[in-house]
This record gives sequence, structure tokens and C-alpha cells, in this order.
Amino acid sequence: MAITRDAVEAFLFHEADLLDDMQVEAWLALWAPECCYWVPCNGRDDSADAQRQVSIIYDNRAGLEDRVYRLMSSAAHSQRPRSRMRRVVGNLRFEVREGEVHTRSNFLLAELRRGRQEIWSGVSQHRLLPAGDGFQIRAKTVLLTQSDEAIDNLTFLL
Amino acid sequence: MNAPHSLSDYAHLVQPDRVHSAVYTDPAVFEQEMARIFHRSWLCVGHEAELPNPGDFRATTLGRQPVIMVRGEDGQVRVFMNRCRHRGMALCEAETGNARFFTCWYHGWVYRNTGPLQDVPGPAGYGPDFHKEDFGLTPVPRQASYRGFVFASLAPTGPTLAQHLGPAAKYLDIYMDASPVGEIDVTAGVHRTHYRGNWKFVGMDGYHPHYTHRSVMDAWKRRSGGNMADTHHGDPFADESGNLTRDLGNGHVLMDFLPGRSAHLERYLGSIRKQPRGEDYIQAMHAAYGEQRGNELLAWAGDPHAGIYPNLQLIGVQIRLVRPVSVDETEVLMFPGLLKGVPDSINSLRLRQHESFYGPAGAGSPDDAELFERNQTGLQAAVEPWVYLGRGLNRERTEPDGTRVGLIGDETTQRGQLRAWAKLMSEA
Repeated sequence: MAITRDAVEAFLFHEADLLDDMQVEAWLALWAPECCYWVPCNGRDDSADAQRQVSIIYDNRAGLEDRVYRLMSSAAHSQRPRSRMRRVVGNLRFEVREGEVHTRSNFLLAELRRGRQEIWSGVSQHRLLPAGDGFQIRAKTVLLTQSDEAIDNLTFLL
Repeated sequence: MNAPHSLSDYAHLVQPDRVHSAVYTDPAVFEQEMARIFHRSWLCVGHEAELPNPGDFRATTLGRQPVIMVRGEDGQVRVFMNRCRHRGMALCEAETGNARFFTCWYHGWVYRNTGPLQDVPGPAGYGPDFHKEDFGLTPVPRQASYRGFVFASLAPTGPTLAQHLGPAAKYLDIYMDASPVGEIDVTAGVHRTHYRGNWKFVGMDGYHPHYTHRSVMDAWKRRSGGNMADTHHGDPFADESGNLTRDLGNGHVLMDFLPGRSAHLERYLGSIRKQPRGEDYIQAMHAAYGEQRGNELLAWAGDPHAGIYPNLQLIGVQIRLVRPVSVDETEVLMFPGLLKGVPDSINSLRLRQHESFYGPAGAGSPDDAELFERNQTGLQAAVEPWVYLGRGLNRERTEPDGTRVGLIGDETTQRGQLRAWAKLMSEA
């Protein structure tokens, strides 16, 4: 498959739809068998040492599966009711290194839950492996603008 | 119940088996909590290990009053009121950082990180009666520490920290002595969380996990490994688990998981041994503390699950500080402590276990916060205003040292906290 801007964008837009619609199992299926889903904390970026510094999320494949399994439960109270969301993904830049696509994009997410609307924003860094007619996510790091603020509920997916 | 409360009201609001919802909902009660508890009692400001280098500081609050905890260039950790002695500006706006001097950017007064006023612009404008040494940063009225935990009181007199902690002090040891050298590193950062509910909801409830955390407990059953399930086997919250709740006095309480964890020690050690150099950690604990105490400390897993009244909780790997914002708004800071003298893999495991359950995206904390908010909503229905906290009163026993003991799901902990609350609130 040719690695074009259209193909990369189409994949990121598809992922954004799954996240907004809380299609969590379909989202999980986008990930490679060995993967890392990382949201650093305290305003840090991907230069942080996740083995010495706490993250908001640092999931390997097993952690990601636990997260998705829990979100499917009727007892995941912080997502009962679900967050209603719509996000815009843009400012995409990417390069291909050793067969992997390294992307950097911005997101702006409006999240509404129980009468409260929150605006979340940040930078997403994907490492994508070409697979079939699309990609698999090898790693995704989200640099959340609010990562050093007091946060109520981040149980939806970024 | 929105009228001002007289002193005697507070004792009435907390009955042996129930508490009035005004305790959680009335802004006038909250004002009194600030005055009589948070601006008077010993509060934990943080741990010295968060400030390893001279100049390291954290700006925080004690109740409503802003303070700076700073390690001075002389190595001493001090707590100052975060207020310029000139016009009263908050000196330090960054939450954390390193500063040799604190400069007030309003008019340029400069303070050393040990407190003294260093410099005043235009000193010729001050006469001979002005002495710089009279205008150093104001220290908190009282400061004391235990095992590196820094406590401060805004009241000039009162019980000593040792009197305040009483039998709870040994549970701070449990937290620290998960390290074979008895020291921790608190530079991993902090999860800052927030919920729209009263501060007294948070922590120390062994009755809620089967429902509040059902989604997590289901996940534990599905797979054990890499998450909290490594330290809990079986159902730690069942009445039959052997686990206990303890009311240690002065509002300090404990969810004592040692009985259950001791029974499952070998399985837990097995999960430690699976970590790279995990066996080294076990050996180091035995060498440092002897096999018996070493095994007991390993079974605790550095998790005394203790609430040190009113604002410190030691849960899992975290130092948790509770910051009441208003009667229905609370901020909770969770600092994962790393152990000194252990293989890196043990600290990585501690971080991953913490993140899996706690913090704003964990599997546990946000469900707690959600339930606290529903609790705050429900308590507005004040036609029948009493909250029932009688679970386990029928089987609570008192130890020779005066501490009360219940089963893990008993409300011994809530009763202990609220008994101390009523006492503090009733003291003029």
C-alpha cells in the first residue's frame, strides 16, 4: 500500500470516529499485538522516563485490553452515561522511518457528560505499521494540554 | 439546616451510628471545618523526598492558606506562608520548581529560600526603624516531620505531632519500610484529580469495592498480572477475608489488609520474582529487616491503606493529599512513591499498578469520584437527613490500646473519622 497523506489521514479520521462513538472493541482491533498507549502527566512530553515518572496512562497490550474490557462493563460508572464527544484532528505532519509512519497531529475534543462540557486538546503522536489496506497502531502518545491540571474524569479515550 | 451551628450542634450531627447530611452539604459547616480543623490541626504538607535538591519547592495550600514547602540552600525543608511581607502578594505562582530566591514581581522584594528578606528596591525610602530581619518570610506557626513526612499546623499551640499521630505513626513506617533502606523517592510526579463532592467521602471504605469497583474486580478475575491483582488475591473485601478496619483514634483509620496478604504471601512473592531482579528485592528486605519482619513488610507491600486525619492517606504506592475546595468540591493529589535501594523493575511495577487503578484515567479513581458526586446529589434530599453508618457496630471490638477493630467492610473507619471530626468541630 502506498503511504500517502490521504491514506494516513483516512486512518486517523477513522480512529477519531471510533473514539468519538466509543466503538472500543473496534478501536482495540486497530492496535498491533505489541503496543504502547501513553498519556504523560505533569506537562511532560515523550522525553519523559515512564519507568521513573508517573503517567496518566501507560498501557501495554494487556493494559489496553483491560481498559477496553472495563469500558464495556455496565459497572464502569464514570462512563454511565457515556461521554458524548466530537473531535477534530488536524495539523498532520508525518514521515516514514524504517517502514513505520511517524505522525504528529493536533486534536480538539468537545466532551459532554451529565450537563458539563469540557474542551480537551493536545498533540497525538502515532507510530503506524502498514498492514493490509490500512495501518496498525504500534504506539500512540498523547500530549494532553491539561496534563498538569486537576482532572475529574478521563475515562473516555483520547 | 442552613442556620449557623452552635458548638453543641456538631456533637448532635454525629451520632454513634449515623451522621446528618449537613455535615457534607452545609457551606456553614465547611467554613467551620476550615477554621477548626484545617487551620488548626496538623496537616501533611508533603514528603521531603519530593524536594531532593536545595531550592526545590512546592506551592500548596493548608486549608485556604497558601504556603510554600521549600528545601533551603542549607538543606533544611521549611514551610512558609506564600505571601510577600510587603503588600501580601503570593510569591510563588509555579506549583513546583527550583529557586534560590523568591522574588515578588509586584515591587521587587527578594527572599532567600531559607526565609530571610535579601533585598528591597530603593532602601533609601525606608527609615532607620525598618529592619530587613523583621520582614523575612513568615514560617508556619508549627512544623514537624516524621519519616520525612512534613506536617504543619497553623495554630501556635496544640498537641505535638507525636501526640497527634499516636499509634498511627507505625503505619507511616510500613509505607517507608517497603524500601530495604527505609527511604523513598517522591520525584515521579503527581496525579491531580478533582470531584464535585465533599472532601470527607474520599478513602477508607472497605464496603464499596464490590459495587463501585465491580468493573475492576471483574477484570481482576479475568487476568492476574501487571495490575492491582498482584497484591490482592481472593476477595480482599469479603467479610471472610480476615482483613480488618481499624480506628486508631484522633480520626486516623486503617484498612488492614495484612491478614489476607499474609495468607497469600507466597503468591505475591511469586509475582515479585517474575520481575527482573525481583528476587534481589526480596533478599534485600530479608537482609535489612530479618526474614520475619521482612516478610511482613513484603506482605504489606508498602500499602498501609491508612488515613492520617485529616488530609493524608497512604494507599497503594501513593501519598495522597486531600484538598477541600468548598463544601461540594475536592481536589485529591496522588504522589506515587518510588522505593530506594530496589531493582528498577520494582519501581516500574509500582507505577504501572498505580496508574492502572488511580488517577484521572485509572480504572478505580474516576468511578469513586462518580459515586461521590452522586452521593453529594442524593444528600440534597434532606427530608430524611440521616446517613446510616452502623455497619459492624454489632461486632466491633476494642483492643487493649483503645483502638477499635471491625471487619474490612465495616464502617469502623467512617465512625472513627467522624468521631474525631465532631470533637475537633466542638472545640472552641
